[in-house]
Amino acid sequence: MTRLGDAYGTAIDRSKPISFRFEGKSYDGFAGDTIASALAANGVWLLSRSFKYHRPRGPLTMAGQDANTLVQIGDEASVLADRQPIHDGLEARGQNYLGSLTRDRGRIVESVARFLPVGFYYKAFFRPQGAWRHWEKLIRRAAGLGRVNPSGSARYYDKAHGFADVAVVGGGPAGMRAALEAARAGAEVVLIDENAALGGSLGYARFDVDGGRAGKEGAELSHAITAERNIRVMTSTTANGWFADNWLPLIHGNRMTKLRATAVVAATGSIEQPMVFRNNDLPGIVMGSAAQRLIRLYGVKPGKRALVVTANSDGYGVALDLDDVGVELSGVLDLRPEPPECPLRAEVRRRLIRIGDGLTVCEAGTRPDRNHLAGVKLAAIVGRGEWAETKEVIRCDLLCLSVGYAPTAQLLLHAGARAGFDVAAETFRIEDLPAHLFVAGSVNGCYELDAVLADGRRAGAAAAADAGFDTELPPAPEPAASPAVCFDFPIFRHRKGKDFVDFDEDLTVADLRNGVADGFEHIELLKRYSTVGMGPSQGRTAALNTARLVAAETGRPMAEIGVTTARPPFAAEKFGHLAGRGFHPVRHTAMHWRHVDAGAQMMVAGAWLRPAWYGGRQDGPACIDREVANVRENVGLIDVSTLGGLDVRGPDAAEFLNRIYTFGYLRQPVGRARYVLMTDQTGVVVDDGVACRLHDRHFYVTATTGGVDGVYRQMLWHNAQWRLDVDVANVTGAYAGVNIAGPNARRVLQTVCDDVDLSADAFPYMGVRQGVVAGLPARILRVGFVGELGYEIHVGASLGEALWDAVLAAGSGFGIAPFGVEAQRVLRLEKGHIIVGQDTDGLTTPPEAAMAWAISRRKPYFVGKRAIEIQEAKGLTRSLVGFTLDDAAGPLPSECHLVIRDGDIAGRVTSIARSNTLGRVIGLAYVAPDQTEIGSRFQIKGPGGRMVEAEVVPLPFYDPDNNRQAL
Amino acid sequence: MASDPTDFARRSPLHRVLTSAGAEWSAVAGGCIPMSFGRADEAARARTLGLADLSVLPRVGFKGREAPGWLELQGLTLPSAPNLSRRMDDGALLARLSAEEHLLLSDVAATGDLCARLVSAWSMDTADGVYALPRSDSHAWLLVTGTRATEMFAKLCAVDLRAHKFADGAVAQTSIARVNGIVIRADLGDIPSFHLLFDWASADYLWGCLIDAADEFGGGPVGRNAVLDLITA
Repeated sequence: MTRLGDAYGTAIDRSKPISFRFEGKSYDGFAGDTIASALAANGVWLLSRSFKYHRPRGPLTMAGQDANTLVQIGDEASVLADRQPIHDGLEARGQNYLGSLTRDRGRIVESVARFLPVGFYYKAFFRPQGAWRHWEKLIRRAAGLGRVNPSGSARYYDKAHGFADVAVVGGGPAGMRAALEAARAGAEVVLIDENAALGGSLGYARFDVDGGRAGKEGAELSHAITAERNIRVMTSTTANGWFADNWLPLIHGNRMTKLRATAVVAATGSIEQPMVFRNNDLPGIVMGSAAQRLIRLYGVKPGKRALVVTANSDGYGVALDLDDVGVELSGVLDLRPEPPECPLRAEVRRRLIRIGDGLTVCEAGTRPDRNHLAGVKLAAIVGRGEWAETKEVIRCDLLCLSVGYAPTAQLLLHAGARAGFDVAAETFRIEDLPAHLFVAGSVNGCYELDAVLADGRRAGAAAAADAGFDTELPPAPEPAASPAVCFDFPIFRHRKGKDFVDFDEDLTVADLRNGVADGFEHIELLKRYSTVGMGPSQGRTAALNTARLVAAETGRPMAEIGVTTARPPFAAEKFGHLAGRGFHPVRHTAMHWRHVDAGAQMMVAGAWLRPAWYGGRQDGPACIDREVANVRENVGLIDVSTLGGLDVRGPDAAEFLNRIYTFGYLRQPVGRARYVLMTDQTGVVVDDGVACRLHDRHFYVTATTGGVDGVYRQMLWHNAQWRLDVDVANVTGAYAGVNIAGPNARRVLQTVCDDVDLSADAFPYMGVRQGVVAGLPARILRVGFVGELGYEIHVGASLGEALWDAVLAAGSGFGIAPFGVEAQRVLRLEKGHIIVGQDTDGLTTPPEAAMAWAISRRKPYFVGKRAIEIQEAKGLTRSLVGFTLDDAAGPLPSECHLVIRDGDIAGRVTSIARSNTLGRVIGLAYVAPDQTEIGSRFQIKGPGGRMVEAEVVPLPFYDPDNNRQAL
Repeated sequence: MASDPTDFARRSPLHRVLTSAGAEWSAVAGGCIPMSFGRADEAARARTLGLADLSVLPRVGFKGREAPGWLELQGLTLPSAPNLSRRMDDGALLARLSAEEHLLLSDVAATGDLCARLVSAWSMDTADGVYALPRSDSHAWLLVTGTRATEMFAKLCAVDLRAHKFADGAVAQTSIARVNGIVIRADLGDIPSFHLLFDWASADYLWGCLIDAADEFGGGPVGRNAVLDLITA
């Protein structure tokens, strides 16, 4: 164990020991540890293997900003070990190795690395012809990070909406200061940090000689934030993107909070950057800040013997921290030839720690197991990226790099800001900030703590003012007086290679130089060609050095090189987060559970569930036949609650319908229903139903289940256009309805309705009455969709279940039985009634669908009238006809099977069924206009491509004289 | 006295699921309402996060160009602007949904008679330009109470319903778990409370969403007794 004393480890709770397993072996840690920190405390640094060459991978940033620490936990691949907290029973494994993590057979790939130059897969594998299918198998086996279990069970994810006047992303010194400033101005603030605790660099970095300032500032800010009611703190939360109008998806645990903020402050900090030299990717080579995180957050002594390479004052802070915790320090190499003095450097010198100015590491060596740093070779810097070996070798197991930073600017770039280049600071600089977006701290180029705090204060106040709060704006801090924190070219190419720029993709200096040499000089092209920046860390630790290399190779200034386009998400997110809980509304009729209890097979109909038939799932045809027969011979009951219902009321109601629908309604008597057919402006049939005139100024209009919302929208739109004195209300859900159909329908209804004269003379076909059924106020419609004597009874939805119960009870003596949608489809087909959407399509006009009879020729206008007249004048190209098949027992075509004529498509089947009632196969089909004569014959390309003979017959198939519905 | 919802023709769309959840029913307003779910902590749940089904209680809507004038003629004082509500003398709540549309909810105890009075006063012949809407059947009605209610709504609805953004009496016509709904803030003492009216046919679906969303806060169904306790507290 390399755990330090109680003075270190602010993130861990030593009173809560935790046991977990890695690679099958048990380890101990504490609550608050990440997998990586707990393993480091146990002396385990090897976490995984690299993607291409299977090189060993250990902690690099300890901040969740690199792909080195991706491990597998159960079914979940690519979990960041330096961010994932441990818990009892956790089982983690490394990724991307063959055999064992420590002895990976996959390392053999590296021995053939020179045959795998950048872009090799564009140049190889396609020769000789047919070779690809062999390569593909091999490549697919080798590809990917971790393993996904395709049969794994679904987990629960959800989403929530969040609201803020000011969102502050990043809970370091700048973010905390900004949040306080905005909150004190009165703004409601959400402060977001991806780490488990606020503090950012105040939690691990060293800003002064005695090392106390960071902790003191951090404690003061945390205390102030806790006391501030206007701030909501969300830690362990990643703001994973910026979208229009300051919409931020916040990922935390299994939830995505969709935060909408009036103003956003990005205080996202910066990411320490690696240095390039031979074998610079070995475990044991870390960012200086990573070593400090291990020490201060997790109380882990990061090594026994260390060397620090720096180009700023922070590296001296790292050296002091290492020295404080008893790490033997070999020295501090400063890349700068003449570094300026600073208190931290002076303290290092005072402690007699070696300082080597103008020196660098040119090569790292490994232990015999090749899995960890064992020592480095030093070199003198003799030019930009050029070095001369000093022959000095330093044995060490820890190399800390503090050579520069790149702003964590992804959110800002998502928002439209631009990554320019600050020549003085030698790193990217954010420019062209969009409105309502503010930036503070090191992402804004401020590194000195006082400047960071002042910048946070400025940004917080500015954001609050932008969000509408009255506050004084403090002045912007003075430009940093301290020298640049970034070394201009920390890339020390080695003739033997293995000088990695991108650790995710094992890309070396030579790879990128070759890419440029191949002509991919633009950073976006080089990315696609070489895959630099495409790995899981998305260039966080590679983009800056890549840009430097491209600039050097092409002779262009850094400002011209820039970065590749940053797109959300910032960090890897799961499909579960995007999907959330999933809301899929389903509507139930008032009688829904009665259907379920009766054994109905429920089917989706628009947003509703309806009974398809009553009986076993496999018994459909028999159940449908039985239900059809009961309606034809006796009486059946169907739930029609899903049919649309619209109350159209007002002095101009009849005129309104007259314009909306194709028929005439001005002279429709009260107490009568009339068919309605709706066409759109192009004359295409969009819906149908009936209009029941309940009052001189009131029509109750029905519409199809799936079409009513569209009809309602059309009615509202036209009502606004025409400015008639009409009110339209969609009352679909407010009414439950049943249809009692069959020759015994009247007798059933008579037992539960005594205030309406149901006799054929008093209440004829297409009559409408308002009365009381089973004690319930009801609208009664005598309609005949299924071609039998029938009554639709509509009552309030709250009464629907009672109505269903009452009618079934009333009909029990008559053998009443419920029937489903499938039986209704057969019944209506026998009667030759079309279903809009099934027997019509997105181009069907009434004349084509044999519905010309439903068009009033006398009225001056209805929606679609002109288009229909034009089409009639031009002549039809197809017509809907009824047909029967010659061979009733032969193969049965399906809906949408084609009508073929002389090898060409002449039409299609829209409805077809075997009718037991009629003893033959009947259907509706579109055919050519000259095929519509009764007795015409045509061919349908049926199942298996077999041609099936059909004959045009008159409609309706059943009860052509309409005697039964008029009983 | 305990009743069964199926003893009455008028039934809540949730009667079946609420019976399964342990509802003890009582007759009111021509139907049955859950009075309690037999939980010892029901009053506390109502203060934290309770869902009370009021679907059988009276309510009615009126719209049309003459509707505001007609309602004033009936003695009602209307909310001053759309998307505001106002308590009536008999305890009913009048929500103004637009310049020409209003929704009247009876008091939770259903002791007032304003809804019934308006329903009987209206007809197509006597109220020109005024159109009654069947709100008792078109919309299910839940009362969502408790200090965690706004957090639960945030999981289902994009409108910020917290008190400093959505004051007592405010009305939102919005989407809740992709179902159109009307949310009316009507705090009961210091307890945030929201009337939620939504498509009757979607009641089973939305109830499932609400219970799921309420679970992390310890929320769930409460009976009207727990709600009346809040009113009298």
